[in-house]
Amino acid sequence: MMKRCPWLVPLLLLLPFTAGAAESAAVDAVLARLEREAAKVTTLSSDFVQEKHLAMFAEVMTSKGRFAYARPDRLRWELLEPVATGFVLKGKEGRRWNDRSGRSEAFDLQREPMLKVIAEQLLAWTRADFPKLRQEYRISVVTEAPVVLRLQPLAEGGPIGHLLIAFAADASHVTRVEIHDRDGDFTRLTFVNTVVNPELPAATF
Amino acid sequence: MPFFSRIYRFFAPRRRLLYGLTLTLLLGGAIALTSVHLTEDIGAMLPDDGSQAATDFHLLQQAPFVSRIVIQLQGEAGSDLSAAADQLAAQLTPPLFSRVLSGPGSQAGQALLPVLEGAQPALFTSADAASLAKLDAAAVRQRLESGYARLLTPEGLAFKDLLRSDPLDLRQFGLAKLRQVSLVPNARLRDGHFASADGSSLLLVAETPIPLTDSRGGAALLRHFATAAATLPAGVTATLVSGHRYTLANADAIKRDLAVVLSLSSLAVLAIYLVFLRSWQGLFVFLVPAAILLVASGAVALLYAEVFAVTLGFGGVLLGIADEYAMHVYFACRQSPRDRGEILGEVAGPVIFGACATLASFAVMLVSVLPGQRQLAIYAMIGIAAALLLSLVVLPHLVRPAPTVAGEAPASVPLGYGGRWPRRWVIGVWAAILMVSAVFAVDLRFNGELRAMSLVPDELRRDEARLSQVWGDIRGKAMIVCEGADLDSALAANERLYATLVAQLPATEVVSLAPLLPAAATQAANQQRWVAFWQGEAGRTTLAQLAGEGRRLGFAPAAFAPFRERLLAPAVVTPETLHQGGLGAVLDALLVPTPKGIRLLTLVPDTAAVRALFSGAGAPTDGHLVSQARFGEIVGAAIKKDFSRYLVLTMVVVLVLVIAVFRDMKKILLTLVPVVTGLLVMFGVMGLCGIPFNLFNIVATVLIIGLCVDYGIFMVCKVSGESDGTADRSVLVSGLTTLAGFGVLILARHPAMHSIGVTVMLGIGAAIPAALLVIPALYRGEEP
Repeated sequence: MMKRCPWLVPLLLLLPFTAGAAESAAVDAVLARLEREAAKVTTLSSDFVQEKHLAMFAEVMTSKGRFAYARPDRLRWELLEPVATGFVLKGKEGRRWNDRSGRSEAFDLQREPMLKVIAEQLLAWTRADFPKLRQEYRISVVTEAPVVLRLQPLAEGGPIGHLLIAFAADASHVTRVEIHDRDGDFTRLTFVNTVVNPELPAATF
Repeated sequence: MPFFSRIYRFFAPRRRLLYGLTLTLLLGGAIALTSVHLTEDIGAMLPDDGSQAATDFHLLQQAPFVSRIVIQLQGEAGSDLSAAADQLAAQLTPPLFSRVLSGPGSQAGQALLPVLEGAQPALFTSADAASLAKLDAAAVRQRLESGYARLLTPEGLAFKDLLRSDPLDLRQFGLAKLRQVSLVPNARLRDGHFASADGSSLLLVAETPIPLTDSRGGAALLRHFATAAATLPAGVTATLVSGHRYTLANADAIKRDLAVVLSLSSLAVLAIYLVFLRSWQGLFVFLVPAAILLVASGAVALLYAEVFAVTLGFGGVLLGIADEYAMHVYFACRQSPRDRGEILGEVAGPVIFGACATLASFAVMLVSVLPGQRQLAIYAMIGIAAALLLSLVVLPHLVRPAPTVAGEAPASVPLGYGGRWPRRWVIGVWAAILMVSAVFAVDLRFNGELRAMSLVPDELRRDEARLSQVWGDIRGKAMIVCEGADLDSALAANERLYATLVAQLPATEVVSLAPLLPAAATQAANQQRWVAFWQGEAGRTTLAQLAGEGRRLGFAPAAFAPFRERLLAPAVVTPETLHQGGLGAVLDALLVPTPKGIRLLTLVPDTAAVRALFSGAGAPTDGHLVSQARFGEIVGAAIKKDFSRYLVLTMVVVLVLVIAVFRDMKKILLTLVPVVTGLLVMFGVMGLCGIPFNLFNIVATVLIIGLCVDYGIFMVCKVSGESDGTADRSVLVSGLTTLAGFGVLILARHPAMHSIGVTVMLGIGAAIPAALLVIPALYRGEEP
């Protein structure tokens, strides 16, 4: 057949590229929509349920907590059950607490490399900051309605295998995050009772 | 017929031959000088008598923050110091900066913890075992619950593997050992950088191939830094502290001082020549010091493979005094129309005696323990000998008698000097001055510190203080050096030393690799202890508690399998292991391979207590203390002993010479009048004004003794009629030129140059009137 239709060869070679380009355009369109919707969010509050499916535990570890965000860089992340612990962040500074140990301390993100990475990730997801996320992940669209994204780390060797992020039907906020470790463990965060642009008390942060 | 008269008569009809020989000598000196290999090696000023000073100096260069450049970045609130530090580090490039370190990097912790865990069995001390044995069920529960809670936080993702391999938080033992290698005690890690406790400053440590004593290279280095620092964002400033700044500050001060001093002294010398010599032939006197500079420099270039820069610098200045022989011959030849040979027969004696006294002063410097001083002695002696030859052999052929008006005698001495002053007044005032001086001389203090000899600008002093305030005393620590033919023997010695030190000092003050990198035998013993612990009752109980509490909290039975696996895994810690853990900078600072083996450094505070620990019979034998303070004391003491020795020797040699020349008690005592007066007035005024007598004052004192004895010899020969009548004029003029050349150093900002100026101004300033007025007055008093 190739002998009869030699013009097919370059066409077939081009096929994956054209498919990739089409896929990339679709992803860009989805991400652009998410960014537009996220831009409308100035504050956000939500409860969440965290399930940790870890091989080192006989059963699933379930915990509950609360999350709040205010543009541009304020976060509150706290667990309420089974332990009360969490942190608030204002720019590069923050405070964290743990009721079990009774400790409450201020911190500077520049001196907490691990917390800095976590805070940057939480803020990037909440703000739908895809240019930043694309520096670290290859993003693909799993479903478009509602939007579910799959984020694959570009760097190899880290603990994370991939992330799944599901958005609300109106794309205004995240409803579910799944962090899949390379060793098969995963953590699922399900956001409930989410309120977009609520008036948050000053004490929240 | 006197020797020099015969020489004169020999060359009188053969002047071209003489001038030809002279020019050949000068040309030879110039040619030899082109091959000179100058060195700024500080070794010139370090004793080479087998004492520890030179060794200590070279070891001090290896102290982590002495040889390296320390840069402090300070930022206003809100400035991004980390980015500024990275930007600056990127701009400090070779060849001037070979390496710049701003911190261990943000990933350092991730590499370190697994390494510490793996190394734990090899580092498990008996103290660790005792501490672990106290771990009860409640503590095990608390640690597991804490780990469980942390797993639930967002950090849990990265913490999971750590909890599996170390559920009991045993890494605390390793982290405690890590604190023992903290080179900057006050530093915190921020964004992978060394940050101050309040976060307002960052620290960068840089290495350079430019030696600390290289002023030109240091200037280029500082310019490069200033250019890079100028590009930092607004609100961020960078301050560099290194030995180069000291070198440059001193070199700049000396250059500035020389510009002022040379201008002033040249003007003063010119004025003196115009007033007293009043003839173009005076130019020949002026040329003698310049000519001997060429001869002496050429000679040392031939004699030594390497000539110390300090020899040419200081020696060149010293030879400025050599005009006094030429001056003496000049005045004698100008004042009398008599036969030159006859005149030379009269002046040669005092000139040779004077030159011998000066040669003797420099000759005693040959016993110095400082190689630079010995070379300087050779240089000066060659120069004095050349000055003597030029003055007595060449100059008489160049200087013609001053023209006289018909019927008048040749111009007489313009001042009557001693003869024109009331004798009793002269002696009375002189005696009073001596007595007052003697009273205040008792208050003279000696300062043997080397630091007193270098200039430390206020700005540099402030920068050092600020650095200390923020980061602790990182540049002033003492260092203890352990050496071994191989790594293991060095580590064993280092370990013994560490044990000795922590028994005497707080462990937090000792920076040592010993806890993190023990010798092989210790590692093996630690490993055995580790295995024995976990196989013993305490270990088995702890493991049972871990399993029980883990079950209670819902952990799977295999949750801590990685921890159980490493309990029996063999562990060996090597320098490579620590490198993998991100501790390369610490290793580079504290472990130094040498041609003879391995050198390990331990840092301790440079306190009197530490220095006392290393002195006396009970001092630790495994390490050698190298302390900046002690080094200063050792070198200062060696130089003080050295200089004091040749101060005494100079006096003895000069006395012997004077006795040999005059063999008359009266004349001997009179010859010593200028020396005694000069020294006593100098000591008295310095005591009165609270000016301490330092090492450079001693050097200048040797010079003063040599000069003052010359004055004494010239004047005693004159008053006793053994030489021509122009001696007082040559003493006055050469004394004034010495004051003009050296005395103006009193205006210098550099402490060493200023010290020389003070000594010469006081000593020569008092010796000249003593020679000119007191010797004639005393001599007259002894006449019938």
